Amino acid sequence: MTETLSAQAPLGTPPARETLLEVRDMKTHFKVLDGIVPAVDGVSFSLGRGQTLGIVGESGSGKSVTALTIMRLLDIPPAVIGAESEVWFDGREILHMPIDAMRKIRGKDIAMIFQEPLTSLNPVLSIGEQIGEQVRLHLKVNKREARDRSIESLRMVGIPSPEKRIKQYPHEMSGGMRQRVMIAMALSCEPKLLIADEPTTALDVTIQAQILELLKVIQQRTGSALLLITHDLGVVAEMVDHVVVMYAGQIVEQGSVNDVMLEPRAPYTMGLLESIPTAEKRGGRLSVIKGVVPSPFHLPPACRFEPRCPYAWDLCREVAPDLAAVAGSATEQLARCHLHGKVGESRRTGALDHHAGAMRVGRGLKEDPGKTLSSRGDR
Amino acid sequence: MIKYIIRRAVQAIPVLFGITIVVYAILLAAPGGPTAKFAQNPRITQEMKEDFKRAWGLDQPVPVQYCRWMGFCNKLVDDKVLGILPAPAAFIGPDGWLNAFPASLSGATNGVLHGDFGFSIATGELVNRSISRAALPTLILAGTALFVWLVVAILMGVYAAIHRYSLFDQAATVFAYVGYAMPTFWLGIMLIFLFSGPGLNILPAGGMTETRVSPPFGSDDYWVYFGANTLDAILDIGKHLILPVITLVVVNIAGDSRYVRASMLEALGQDYVRTAKAKGLPGRTVTFKHALRNAMLPVVTNIGLEIPFLFTGAIVTETIYSWPGIGRLTILSVNNFDYPVLMGVLLISATIVVLANLLADVAYAVVDPRITF
Amino acid sequence: MSESVPSQSAIDAERLRRAEEAGEDYEIGLVSLSQWQLAWRKFRGHRLALVGLAIIATLVILALVGPIFFPYDFATIPVPDKIVYEGRSPSLDHLFGETGGLQRDVFRLVVNGARTSLFIGFSSMFIGVTIGTIVGSVAGYLGGFVDNLLMRIVDVMLSLPLLFVILVASRFFGNGSVVLIVVIFGLFSWMGVSRLVRSQFLSIREREFVEAARAVGVRDRRIIFRHILPNAISPIVVAASLIVAGNIIGEAFVSFLGFGVSPMTPTWGNILSNALTFIPLGNWWWPMFPGVAIILTVLAVNFIGDGLRDALDPRSRA
Repeated sequence: MTETLSAQAPLGTPPARETLLEVRDMKTHFKVLDGIVPAVDGVSFSLGRGQTLGIVGESGSGKSVTALTIMRLLDIPPAVIGAESEVWFDGREILHMPIDAMRKIRGKDIAMIFQEPLTSLNPVLSIGEQIGEQVRLHLKVNKREARDRSIESLRMVGIPSPEKRIKQYPHEMSGGMRQRVMIAMALSCEPKLLIADEPTTALDVTIQAQILELLKVIQQRTGSALLLITHDLGVVAEMVDHVVVMYAGQIVEQGSVNDVMLEPRAPYTMGLLESIPTAEKRGGRLSVIKGVVPSPFHLPPACRFEPRCPYAWDLCREVAPDLAAVAGSATEQLARCHLHGKVGESRRTGALDHHAGAMRVGRGLKEDPGKTLSSRGDR
Repeated sequence: MIKYIIRRAVQAIPVLFGITIVVYAILLAAPGGPTAKFAQNPRITQEMKEDFKRAWGLDQPVPVQYCRWMGFCNKLVDDKVLGILPAPAAFIGPDGWLNAFPASLSGATNGVLHGDFGFSIATGELVNRSISRAALPTLILAGTALFVWLVVAILMGVYAAIHRYSLFDQAATVFAYVGYAMPTFWLGIMLIFLFSGPGLNILPAGGMTETRVSPPFGSDDYWVYFGANTLDAILDIGKHLILPVITLVVVNIAGDSRYVRASMLEALGQDYVRTAKAKGLPGRTVTFKHALRNAMLPVVTNIGLEIPFLFTGAIVTETIYSWPGIGRLTILSVNNFDYPVLMGVLLISATIVVLANLLADVAYAVVDPRITF
Repeated sequence: MSESVPSQSAIDAERLRRAEEAGEDYEIGLVSLSQWQLAWRKFRGHRLALVGLAIIATLVILALVGPIFFPYDFATIPVPDKIVYEGRSPSLDHLFGETGGLQRDVFRLVVNGARTSLFIGFSSMFIGVTIGTIVGSVAGYLGGFVDNLLMRIVDVMLSLPLLFVILVASRFFGNGSVVLIVVIFGLFSWMGVSRLVRSQFLSIREREFVEAARAVGVRDRRIIFRHILPNAISPIVVAASLIVAGNIIGEAFVSFLGFGVSPMTPTWGNILSNALTFIPLGNWWWPMFPGVAIILTVLAVNFIGDGLRDALDPRSRA
């Protein structure tokens, strides 16, 4: 059970100074009994200092595995990380460094919070101990100062009477409070990058809003970069500046949050946004993306979204599209779809129009967006 | 915490009572009764048997016998209600308090509640004496075995879990499977063949001490000898302990090391271990401070529940190795139909079992902060 | 080729056509199995369990057929060609060697002992499982006072050191007969099963679908038989395998101490008991082979139990 990669071919050049995190061609596969699961299959993105990035996708899209690969928290068998994969953090390549060096970065420069705060905290250790050990390890302080810092972290995340909470155990707290503790733990050593893997999925809806608000405030106050992983488009819209959309292990769309959310260019993203019920669609059919996510052992040969794509044609079954720049966007928006290549130009307008229409009335109704909904009479 | 212990202790009382009833019932239902050992002897007449019964109070009706044996009823009072139940007056001791109370209050000295288990039918001595004389050797044997068992099982299990699928782990698994399938006495016999007389002859085949060198264990002469040659005496006992302890312990280690391993593996797979790694903690801290603490919780309870098996194992082991302990005493008294000794031994071992369970529960509650009282 | 976007129905039709062509569920690619088929498949893949099954099968055949070819008659004392007090070591004539004293053939003893020991192990298990299922069902189903009482009884019985009690019971009630030993062991192996069955009842009783079924008017008996018991079968089967193993060793213990089956009917346990006094003479073969037989049997049963547990656990993958 190891976590290190063996030494491979020489690494590429480090990125520019302002880039805090750069992921290059990350490939993480899992060897299981039934075959190989290509959980992350060629993912690249970067994140500047103090910036925010959201990774959006369904279960099985590979978003969590991406984060775990960055942190090198995967057990190497069964996981296999591609030799050409590189992750650059703060000028250093971290996938290939010795695990001891990585441990110095974990918890100190990069911190991660997980989805399930109850199981992610050790039930037999007190809160103070769990925060304190991290502080003592990385900041090399004595017990008294570690305790003070822990109390301060708890206060920063809005937990009342932190001096009392220090002695409590995880099971004595509510779900929302536990997640605050996780955040406090992550921030205790003032990390440069905070990775949040579905931080609110396991919480009540009312608490979700509080935690997200907290994350936002903290991120702005401390200036650390934020990598937020979620399946919830609403969360992404509020929390991050840039977005990466993943499907079946690949990035299918990438760009600023405004571009991707308001003018999506990949059919998958379009489908996601269309399926959000809005007031305008009242009375119409719910829009869904037909079909299911493909099994990792039976991935479509070319474009992985093709079986479910309303705009697919035979090229999509033969040639896998690359992530390419989308024409006509001010910022750098990328989409993985033939519609945006040379060959799909003629189809592109039709598709975008269809999407615009579907955004207003939902699929299944052959309504012209200008008409009123006759069955309801109100508008 | 104290309240919890008291509550559990109180819950144990009905169980203990149930045990006394079951023990008494089994022995009652046995055919022949204590005079069975005279059944073969033609020279004992029926009249002599009747005298014998009367002398031992065995002619009384069952509820009365039970009551007296337990110490609820005053032995000196003979009245009965309806011919079979003890009269209310029998419940009062010589000094006026309830007979069940301690001797200082009630003046009663009879019965289990006062530590009086009667007299051995075979040897005539106080059952207390027979049992306490046999207790020390068994304690030495079982105590050493318990220590060895715990240490080895935990070390083996944890190491195997950390180095999963390694050669050690595979060997440990084979050992666990085979060891668990072995009847302990068979192992004992094979060990004797291997290490004692017929084989290598490096370890003694039985007994507790070298009879040529020291007086028999437990006797007054022995303690004199012990005082004079302490180191030699300890080494001597130690040498005699090796084979019996191995025999007693192998089966338990085999089962427990797998359990420890499984528990450790489960702990290592938990989310909080991932969090600990994500904090940058070194591997050793993650394994021992985070995973092991949690893994030990179910192991602690399990071991508490298995302590009673040490005693059952001791019966056979003591027989093979002629170890003068409670196990051997049990066999002898079963053979002799020696009821008082038998009942005393059964009661005491059942009580130890209940106490061990209680201890396991309390230990678990102490170690796991999630348990509230 | 048209340049407009194809309609949804056209896409669906195309996809259907492709799927039929490929002969599989194009989107999903999985095959579904019933619970028992899944269990059998998992069991089959468990190499150790299959080994265990093979060993038990061999032993059972040996137990059934062996005594016919290699009969053992307690009354007939073989006339050895040479008097060797400790018995001769294994040879071609006597595969497992000879016993001390009367110089009987150990191989015959072991083969005949197989029949008795296996019989005791399995039949006492059936008795124990039956009693345990009944008690557990009653306790779990009725709940309340009955449940409490029954569980206290279980506690008491579990507190008694089993070996002690079995010894006493065997000594006092047993007269060396096999049937009595079976009954005694059966009477002491039901406790674990009763707890298992009871917990099945308790957990399923609280589930919503039982309430739903009741609300619709399904009779209680149907609930018990169609829902609760099938779920309980898996842990019972696993427990049963452990009981067989435990009772075979238990019988060996009891016979070894002289309280079990009389030597007229050999069991692996009483063979070992007779060998005890001859230890100083060094005839290791006499106790070794019966012991190995016990180990093999218990190992095999444990393997099967492990395989069953993995196979019937709904969470483990094939």
